[in-house]
Amino acid sequence: MKDGRFRKLLDAILVPLLAVLSGLVLMGILILFLRKPLFESYAVLFANGFGCKEYGNCIFITALERATPIILTGLSAVVAFRSGMFSIGQEGQYLLGAAAAAWLGYAIHLPPILHASVIIIAAMLVGAGYGWIPGILKVKLGVNELLATIMLNSIAALVVEYLVQFPMRADTSAVAHSPVIDESAQLMSFLPGSKWGVGFVIAVIAVIVIYIYLWRTKPGYEQRMAGQSRKFALFGGIPSDNSAVRAMLISGALAGLAGAIEVMGVHRRITTGFSVGLGFDGLTSAILGQVHPFGVFIVAILFSGLKLGAQIGLQLRLNIPRELGGTIIGFIVLFVAAGKLYEESIVRAREWSARRRGSKLKGESP
Amino acid sequence: MTLAIEMKGITKFFASAQVRANEGVDFSVESGEVHALVGENGAGKTTLMNILYGLIKPDSGEIFIDSQKVEINHPDDAIKHGIGMVHQHFKLVPSFTVAQNILLGMEPSQAGFLNQQNENKLVDELAKKFNLPVDPTARIWDLPVSMQQRVEILKVLQRNAKILVLDEPTAVLTPQEVNELITVIRGLSKQGYTIIFITHKLIEVMSVADRVSVMRGGRMMGTKRVSETSIPELARMMVGREVLLRVKKKEIQRGETVLEVRNISVADVNGLAAISRVSFQVHKGEIVAIAGVSGNGQTELVEAISGMIHLDGGEIVFKGKPINEASVGERRDLGMAHIPEDRMVVGLNLQTTLDENLIVSRYNHSEFSRYGFLLMKTIHEFAEKVVKAFSIAAARPGEGIAMLSGGNLQKVVVGRELSGNPSFIIANQPTRGLDVGSIEFVHKTLIEERDKGAGVLLVSVELDEVLALSDRILVLYRGKIRGELNTATATEEEVGILMAGGTLEDLKQYKEDNEEGEKREMKS
Repeated sequence: MKDGRFRKLLDAILVPLLAVLSGLVLMGILILFLRKPLFESYAVLFANGFGCKEYGNCIFITALERATPIILTGLSAVVAFRSGMFSIGQEGQYLLGAAAAAWLGYAIHLPPILHASVIIIAAMLVGAGYGWIPGILKVKLGVNELLATIMLNSIAALVVEYLVQFPMRADTSAVAHSPVIDESAQLMSFLPGSKWGVGFVIAVIAVIVIYIYLWRTKPGYEQRMAGQSRKFALFGGIPSDNSAVRAMLISGALAGLAGAIEVMGVHRRITTGFSVGLGFDGLTSAILGQVHPFGVFIVAILFSGLKLGAQIGLQLRLNIPRELGGTIIGFIVLFVAAGKLYEESIVRAREWSARRRGSKLKGESP
Repeated sequence: MTLAIEMKGITKFFASAQVRANEGVDFSVESGEVHALVGENGAGKTTLMNILYGLIKPDSGEIFIDSQKVEINHPDDAIKHGIGMVHQHFKLVPSFTVAQNILLGMEPSQAGFLNQQNENKLVDELAKKFNLPVDPTARIWDLPVSMQQRVEILKVLQRNAKILVLDEPTAVLTPQEVNELITVIRGLSKQGYTIIFITHKLIEVMSVADRVSVMRGGRMMGTKRVSETSIPELARMMVGREVLLRVKKKEIQRGETVLEVRNISVADVNGLAAISRVSFQVHKGEIVAIAGVSGNGQTELVEAISGMIHLDGGEIVFKGKPINEASVGERRDLGMAHIPEDRMVVGLNLQTTLDENLIVSRYNHSEFSRYGFLLMKTIHEFAEKVVKAFSIAAARPGEGIAMLSGGNLQKVVVGRELSGNPSFIIANQPTRGLDVGSIEFVHKTLIEERDKGAGVLLVSVELDEVLALSDRILVLYRGKIRGELNTATATEEEVGILMAGGTLEDLKQYKEDNEEGEKREMKS
């Protein structure tokens, strides 16, 4: 039983692990092309992505901070994918959630904890509402959710850009931005000089809650069954249309929450060009993380660390373009997509080892 | 007689599944014979044939073709040695024509250009030569399954195969099509072709094969001349114990009406009536069979009763309540169980665990969930109980079911559907694709439910099954009930003529004509 569980876990992480290793090897080849020191590059990448020199000067903490919105948008994708909705609308839901949080941050004034709570709930509702649109379109009219969410992403990006440039604009500085939100609306950070704080805790709680929701509750069961096989759901009496819409509501709420935390905990306001593709990072971390909340959590931190390591380490210390970080992530995703490659060799390796074990046993008992 | 194929000591171990699929298997086929290879699901028949065809490499063993030792590492080698295989799942290009499929990869060309007419002519000649008429210009997706199979056979013959391996060729065919195929196989054998016929239907073995080899658990149990063996003996060799081929059942104790359908109609995807104005009743304690050739509205009838599709007219009354508007879940809560015809896609979710498959119809009940949370422990215990009660040997609670054999998968479905004490059971093709051991199990279980007082609606295209299990027979033909028979007095001929769209009067007339004819012959 225990052995089976270990085997299952190994099966789940083996392909992503091999993909990450392959991506890092490919990075080495690129570094050799750039005529930079190979081993030093790896050392610098990891030291500046995941290292921790002393308390208060910990780059890993920054990686956790950067990972926070990716964890949440990743969870958003997990909920949608597990329920059979191929939604890539996290980007749009994230942006609208962020805009709502930024506006409520300066437009209303409430006592500290209450203010933050109201904003978080409002941003989640906005995200959920924006997720509901493709959900209901799919269920009632059969509109492909992939296309619908792509369109809705563009719409959201333009709407938020307009809001930041005009109604919410604080001053006439070159980079348009909204006023700074009230202190009562800001999320506390744990360390001075760092933005790592309550937001990360919320993300961790979300990981656990979503795991329990999907695998231990009735609505989660409905969503997964309807997602895996609509015919089976219909046959068994599971209301799959409701499940799909509910999945989009939850997915949207999580992406909206990501936007709110990014505004309340990190930037304190919304600026032009606010999105740096965090919605899509969530999407890729969901896929690389085997569409599992725990997988998303690990992958989001890994991605943030790699990006940081490339940005601070490779670029500043070794003069290697920081885009290399993004390139590695791109490679890793590519290798995951080509997962069959590994599966074949894993099966071969297992057969080989089983045969060796078999022949050994024969040898021992003549 | 010379041997066309001789396989010696074939052993194959699948490390990934920890299965010894073939263990020291010896298998030989005489040239020009029809040789049936039978065994339960998972007995190793397909593995053995895949080794012969070069799709799998054996761990050890030798293969001789026409007494020459050969190495077969790839299907190309097999084809070179004159072996052709018709797979259970056809490997045709649906959007191509018949001729394009048959000549795929070996098209005659002139300076690199294809000549469609030339190809069609070639295929026409081929079809004539083997007396297997096809339309070379038809597209595969427009053809019925039996025609597609014919294309597969022609494809193999075009590649100069002398030895044909047919993997469960009858699994997808209607009884009439099976008879046609048997004629084709007999014809090919007369022309000197050697045919290996994989199946688990023993009746077919008796009617088509010269010799039969039986496999069980990866081993060869023996080879017999068909003329010197019998179905019970083969069944015993296959399963390893005595098998009741016809389950005994008690005298009927008919109770009150449990299901009544009144004039129901259902349109199919094209808007044509798949079911039109069908009425019947099912009582407690009886098995009512819906007989008929597949595609006569069975699927729509079952889906309408179970609530998966909407009615276009009529009324369904279940336990005295009209349920036209009730959802699938509500009908199930009222005590309806449903064993669907497609267990792989409809009846089960192969991507999830045994536990989650077992609760799909009842996850909402308080026994399995409280305050919105699933009661994992109770569900696990329930899974253990079902595994035990229905002896689903290979299934383990908490683990996936994708690796289970067809028979075990059907046991999972049956276990789930019957463990809720249903008062009405729809069993749609409950034994399709199962081996004799599993068929016996399903039949016994359905009769037990009937004796306990449940009403059973059995939908089947297998005449034997209908006659063995049911108390009453309704014959469905083109979406209408063609006639009703009492199983106790019904004959196979009577059901057959109704299935073919005739009437009982036709049968009487036909018999009288025959008798008169005989009398006349006797007189003259």
